[in-house]
Amino acid sequence: MSEVVPKLFRINTGSCNGCDVEFMPTILVEKFGVSTLGVEMVEDIKDANIIAITGPLTARSESFLKSAVGKIRHPYVVVGVGTCAVTCGIFRDSYAINGPTDKIVDVNVNVAGCPPRPQSIAEGIAKGIKVLNQVMNGEDIPKTIDTIFKDFSAPESFRGRMDLNPDMCTACRTCETVCPSTAIKITEIAQGHVHNIWHNSCCYCGNCAYFCPTGAIFSTNSFDTVKLQSEKFEDVNSEIIKPSDCSSCGDSYMPPSRGLLGKGYVHDDVKKLDTTICSKCRKEANFKRMYA
Amino acid sequence: MSIEEFNDAIKNKLFGDYELKEDVDHYGNSNSWIVLHDKRDMEVVAKAVKSFKGRCVVATGYLNEMDGTHTVIYHFDINGMIMNAQINTNDKTVISITPILRSADWAERELREMYDVEPVGHPTKDRLFLDYSIAKGVLNEYISLSKIQMGVSDTDVLWSQVNKGVKV
Amino acid sequence: MSEKIEIGPFHTELEESVYFKLEVDEHRMVEKVEIINGFIHRGMESLVTKKNFMQNLILTERVCSLCSNNHPMTYAMAVEKISGITIPLRAEALRVVADEVKRVASDMFNLSMLTHIAHTHELMKDTMNTREHMQDLKEVIWGNRMDMSSNLLTGTKYDLDDRKVKIILDTLDTVEPKIRDLKERYENDEELKTKTVGVGVLPLEDALEIGVTGPVARGSGINNDVRVMAPYGLYAYRPELQPNVTLSLRKEGDVHARAMARFGDILEAVRIIRDVVADMPEGDTYVDKRPHIPAGEAVVRTEAPRGELIYYLKTDGSQKPVRMRWKVPTFTNWEALKVMILGDKVDNVTMILNSIDPCISCTDR
Repeated sequence: MSEVVPKLFRINTGSCNGCDVEFMPTILVEKFGVSTLGVEMVEDIKDANIIAITGPLTARSESFLKSAVGKIRHPYVVVGVGTCAVTCGIFRDSYAINGPTDKIVDVNVNVAGCPPRPQSIAEGIAKGIKVLNQVMNGEDIPKTIDTIFKDFSAPESFRGRMDLNPDMCTACRTCETVCPSTAIKITEIAQGHVHNIWHNSCCYCGNCAYFCPTGAIFSTNSFDTVKLQSEKFEDVNSEIIKPSDCSSCGDSYMPPSRGLLGKGYVHDDVKKLDTTICSKCRKEANFKRMYA
Repeated sequence: MSIEEFNDAIKNKLFGDYELKEDVDHYGNSNSWIVLHDKRDMEVVAKAVKSFKGRCVVATGYLNEMDGTHTVIYHFDINGMIMNAQINTNDKTVISITPILRSADWAERELREMYDVEPVGHPTKDRLFLDYSIAKGVLNEYISLSKIQMGVSDTDVLWSQVNKGVKV
Repeated sequence: MSEKIEIGPFHTELEESVYFKLEVDEHRMVEKVEIINGFIHRGMESLVTKKNFMQNLILTERVCSLCSNNHPMTYAMAVEKISGITIPLRAEALRVVADEVKRVASDMFNLSMLTHIAHTHELMKDTMNTREHMQDLKEVIWGNRMDMSSNLLTGTKYDLDDRKVKIILDTLDTVEPKIRDLKERYENDEELKTKTVGVGVLPLEDALEIGVTGPVARGSGINNDVRVMAPYGLYAYRPELQPNVTLSLRKEGDVHARAMARFGDILEAVRIIRDVVADMPEGDTYVDKRPHIPAGEAVVRTEAPRGELIYYLKTDGSQKPVRMRWKVPTFTNWEALKVMILGDKVDNVTMILNSIDPCISCTDR
């Protein structure tokens, strides 16, 4: 089988420049390993076979992107760099945004991150090359590709993929409220609540973890966010938040967090409040305490 | 530079009434406000700013939903002091001060495309940032017309695809 | 005979999309310049009114990821002014540390792009590698190489302990001699000088009339650094922290002068960080995680890596801003481009553009 020479061209469709700024060290700094992939940066999109696209696709960029893509010779692959390129992220639903880019270009690899680490961008390019080779040789594109760069690690403090401890979550929706890019959805179902974190919409800001009153949602230092387009809607952290049974009446209820109770019971010592009873029983208990 | 000095420079030249207030933040920086009751008076203020070698930093517009008028605030800098001059317009026009202060150029063009408030006498007619596929005055609506026509938001569309795959 | 040349909007030497329509004469000198903006216009002034105050801490950070600390900080200052909240001194100190770290990294990125475009490969590589130390520092202390998420309404989200202070100081010890060495080389490198001295000149009179700010102003001999002209935060409480701008001032007004002005800014930023962490005020890092924000309006400004950043905020007591508007340095510096490009060689256009350190995402919003 033959190996192609990967020729890379970057298109910015309206990014905050984070991904574009990080793209430069990815290419120019030795330690990120892109040079080991034999990638060549080209000046003209006509010569390219790997297109890295950043940004949420602004109205003004749209026609220019269409005409630029029309010039590329087949076969080529498209790597969407950054959460904006994948789902428009934080800018979604603005009047000036016509993305995400896969509305008008066939995207092959997505790199979520805000911005992604250069290691992730390099991984995205590497996976793009792999897909390109498979396309060139007429092979089927698999559903997932294993990580190509093996030796990457991130510092403990790195804000990577978010995770949830369902035992501590009380479905209070604080995370949903403070999330700027609608990456978290909490839905009520028969068995309780479903808590979904969609990594491709996440802007990795850590707001949810910072404001979470119970510490249930937290960031890991995993930057494994480079996925194929077929995985776009599946890269979700999904947990069921089960209700408890009230120790007084036995009905099922969602226990409140101490943080929330503190907002409601400003004059009481929250630690002493009984959290094993439902809100109905608590009302009754309070009524008795005050008037009985 | 003080607000009194500036007041002396404009007080006998204005057409209408005005209110003046000085605001000093807890860092000690002066931040003055002039509310002009006659919108023609912005030219007088701009000329005074120019005579003090000041510049127009930017201008802010917004729609008053109660009565459909627009408020326009020009933010000037005179030697480190910020001066905010505010007017109201009920006919979607203001007199452009760009011929007096070149630094107001972009701010006034943005006023035109974002709020459809015309800076009369502005030297440029071209759009600045807003693409021609979007009607001017886009910030007058809370949700833009093109997005309303879609019926659902992009967020809803994308999340419905996510939810299809989530197994409960 | 004049020739029409187009550059952009997608181009390897353009970090962000912008579209130049140029007319050049037979010597390839630019006679006419038209610049089309709006490629990065994301309707952010509309978006901020649809998101609540907590979400906007992050949305303002995404205005631009090179000045991504200044935006939320200035926005938070506007909220604090409306709420009448004085933030703890420790929070002021933490804000300065985050801000100056960003300034060093941002200015160094611009310098590495300059040498990249000038094809002075060794200088580019060394500048980029030196900047990597600052990137690593941001990742270790704040968790991301670009967006630090350090600001909170009424304070900061992060705090520094002795271990983290040591990491910062160790990084500065590594970086500072490298920066001083690079400064010498940028000052004297013949190849770089040939390509940048006398190129893209912005004379003092034009600079004053247009009202340029930041290193662009300092490269043409103007000092209007907000940290000195209208000091805020810790720069107001401890005037000795204010940058000694004379170290950045240049008279020549060309690409080279603007690069050297940035070196002055970088070295002063390093000095400021050291001074702040050497004497960290004790106390809390914020007043209230989720403060009540009454109705009101405020105008505040700070000095971003590229110059003056000003925020206007209007609130009505609800959970979302009624109106928020900001003016970034490039908004005014952009007009200076026409002065710099006209009469210069067309091959210098991307380098001249880079020399104002354009932040198009900030400008287009």
